[in-house]
Amino acid sequence: MPDMTAAALAAHRFGFGPRPGELRAIADDPRGWVKSQLAPTQALPAAIAALPPAEDDLLAFGRWLVQRRLNNGNAQQLEQRAARQGVSQQLQMLTTEQDFIQNFRQRVSNAVGARLEAAMLTDAPVHERLVHFWSNHFTVSTVKPAAIALPPSFEKDAVRPHVGGRFADMLLASSKHPGMLIYLDNWLSIGPHSLAARYPERARRLPGGQRPTGINENLGREIMELHTLGVHGGYTQADVQALAAILTGWTYQRANLRMLLNQDVGARNGEQLFEFDAAAHEPGAQTLLGRTYAQDGVDQGEAALRDLAARPACAHFIATKLCRHYIDDQPPPAAVERVARAFARSDGDLRVTMEAVVDSPEAWATPFAKFKQPEEYAITLLRAANVQTLPPNAGVGALMAMGQRPYAAPGPDGWADISDAWLTADLVWKRLEFAQRFAERLARADIDPISIGEASLGPRMSDETRTAVQRAESPAQGLAILFAAPEIQRR
Amino acid sequence: MLNRRHLLAGATGAAALSFPVFAFGQAHSTDKRLLVIILRGALDGLAALPPIGDPNYANLRGGLALQRADVLPLDSTFALHKSLPKLKAMYDARELIPIHAAATGYRDRSHFDGQNVLESGAATPFARNNGWLNAALGALPQSRPDMGVALSEQAPLVLRGAAHVATWSPSVLPDVSNDTVQRLLALYDARDPQLASVLHAAMGANAVAMDSGAGSMNNAGGGYRQIASLAQVAARFLKDPSGPIAAVMDMGGWDTHANQGAAQGALARNLGLLDDGVDAFRTEMGPAWANTAVIVVTEFGRTAAPNGAGGTDHGTAAAALLAGGALRGGRVLADWPGLSSAALYQNRDLKPTIDIRAVIKGVLADHMRVPNAALDSIVFPDSASIRPVQSLLRA
Repeated sequence: MPDMTAAALAAHRFGFGPRPGELRAIADDPRGWVKSQLAPTQALPAAIAALPPAEDDLLAFGRWLVQRRLNNGNAQQLEQRAARQGVSQQLQMLTTEQDFIQNFRQRVSNAVGARLEAAMLTDAPVHERLVHFWSNHFTVSTVKPAAIALPPSFEKDAVRPHVGGRFADMLLASSKHPGMLIYLDNWLSIGPHSLAARYPERARRLPGGQRPTGINENLGREIMELHTLGVHGGYTQADVQALAAILTGWTYQRANLRMLLNQDVGARNGEQLFEFDAAAHEPGAQTLLGRTYAQDGVDQGEAALRDLAARPACAHFIATKLCRHYIDDQPPPAAVERVARAFARSDGDLRVTMEAVVDSPEAWATPFAKFKQPEEYAITLLRAANVQTLPPNAGVGALMAMGQRPYAAPGPDGWADISDAWLTADLVWKRLEFAQRFAERLARADIDPISIGEASLGPRMSDETRTAVQRAESPAQGLAILFAAPEIQRR
Repeated sequence: MLNRRHLLAGATGAAALSFPVFAFGQAHSTDKRLLVIILRGALDGLAALPPIGDPNYANLRGGLALQRADVLPLDSTFALHKSLPKLKAMYDARELIPIHAAATGYRDRSHFDGQNVLESGAATPFARNNGWLNAALGALPQSRPDMGVALSEQAPLVLRGAAHVATWSPSVLPDVSNDTVQRLLALYDARDPQLASVLHAAMGANAVAMDSGAGSMNNAGGGYRQIASLAQVAARFLKDPSGPIAAVMDMGGWDTHANQGAAQGALARNLGLLDDGVDAFRTEMGPAWANTAVIVVTEFGRTAAPNGAGGTDHGTAAAALLAGGALRGGRVLADWPGLSSAALYQNRDLKPTIDIRAVIKGVLADHMRVPNAALDSIVFPDSASIRPVQSLLRA
């Protein structure tokens, strides 16, 4: 017997809310509908497939860094260079600023549009939500200038292929992608006893011209704190240093910038741009969390990451984050326990792990416990209204106003996943403004807000909301009230 | 449709719009207020605070040199640009301390990295994800729901961190009609108390903001021209007895690589807007101005000499300003390095002689009463060797 109430819960809690008509299709087997989208492989959404590859982003950024160096380097050298090239310093400066805006703001804007369109149109919204979840778990943010171009290709290359696969594979893909290697500074990390430390000219130049010195603990620390074990996961500063040493030499291909700059853009994805630089790698065995890693080269790091992914603390940390995301800000301990067990028993199989989330009675028993984040809220409205295409650059300004510019999380811990962060006066007010503007754009005389509400919420539309929508003075106001209703903003 | 201003005044009534008057002489620590204005893009300190008494000034600055008639003299060396008459009046009232040749610990020339260091308070770019102002507010008694407010869509790095802070910004989106808001309030009251209380809070905050005329900023698209209006909003929040004790705002348009002008021009106009902004804030604060300090800072300075395009490029030491009734003002704070070519940093920039962290620490310690231990560790990490500048505040 079709269950429209469970269908509406499934569509909003595990997806982005239904498009018109979708609810009926879900109602025959809501739980099965969710589970059918947890498979390892899903077709790449067309908008995402059309994005430029990571290599293109890296090339553009490298070119920009070189120009920036020309502009901000030693004054005398700069003037000489400018004279030699017959280009005024000022002209170069302007070119740089224009280049930056063209290359990166527009580039990221296009990627945001693709991400919104993919979520808006997809027939597999559960899969798409998982992409957003894991992309936030392994945050690479445009807020860091050096990584400004890379979050979209990181998401495509390192996250998408693995959301239904094994956690350890995603962890490795993330830790080897130029996006993460740059965002968390590992490309700057030099083992203190490495060849590059003993003979500094052996250290690879950065695109800006300098050479890195010294070890950088950023990636090693965040892999344990944010990606695998959690801050209370039982590691020490010595473990951070050990993992940082293990990861020295993990970088991306940048041997010859000039050559790269002149090369045609290839179709390689970011993960394939990974390169192990033996000269920067700290030699010798390392002890991490009581285990000794004596391997040479890249094997050492791969073994260490796979072991981290297999630790009970990692299972518990991932289970907690999934239950917080899909069930409640305060994840029910029994559900966390169940999901952690599924993660551990399946060797970190994310399909099995998510099935445990879906099979948790708590996931179906705490209606409206979660307050939607701004991006998923906006996507809910786009789907409910059956929008088919987005104009260029649509949504970026509104999402910024609502406090969540995609790909621009403030730090490596990503966007907060609790309502306290989003249920604030200024942000809720901006949502109302967005809801009203969107309603006014959609409203036509023949539009029926009640049927839009029923198609999105089914029996979960409250009597109060129904009455408020029915009594509205115009279809536009009715839609605005529907779009601001608690049962649309929550899941 | 009513605009936001009418709607909010009507919706919340007079209660949210009345503010207590601060009594002189009874100030305790929570009466102290702080506004931080970040000038993004690198302000040309030699234009804002010209050292016209320096023997090398006129030659070095060439076409950008200001004449005596273009400036408001402060002492035998320094003057304010004549686009800053209201700040000059504060100087004369001993409420302004211009600061020169100051810098963070950052010595490269990237806006992003420079602003990151300026705001995080750390020694190097991207060393941490929270800011010095949030850390300072977190070290004080948490006496109100939000200790700070940012007049922007998202809190800038300087205000990010564990301490609770709010944001308020004029919207790029259209107003919500009063009627719709009333209907939603009724719906939320019936169905969702949490949303209802947040919407009430939003209307309260908007009422605070709107009363200063910020309603006209909606869809204005005027960019940093809104600075005076935003500054008034900041003052409204800081005067609210249960509101924040510190506010942050940004102002852009300082990256003057070309045709920046001297007595007149783009930079002079922007300085005028800053002058209006600080003055609008002072006026709106009213008697509470006596307990207020304003810190105006930028990420770094600009090249001492003009470039070939009538502008200046990214440099090192910069000018900064402290304003407020709480200050012991009417003096310039500088250890002037001079402008001879030997005195310039890397033969091109004004040499830094004051660490701006020492100035900020002085204000946070003596004005906001942030404990020294916190200043040396969590506010400005590993900064014990950078001693707070003493005697910036009135006794």
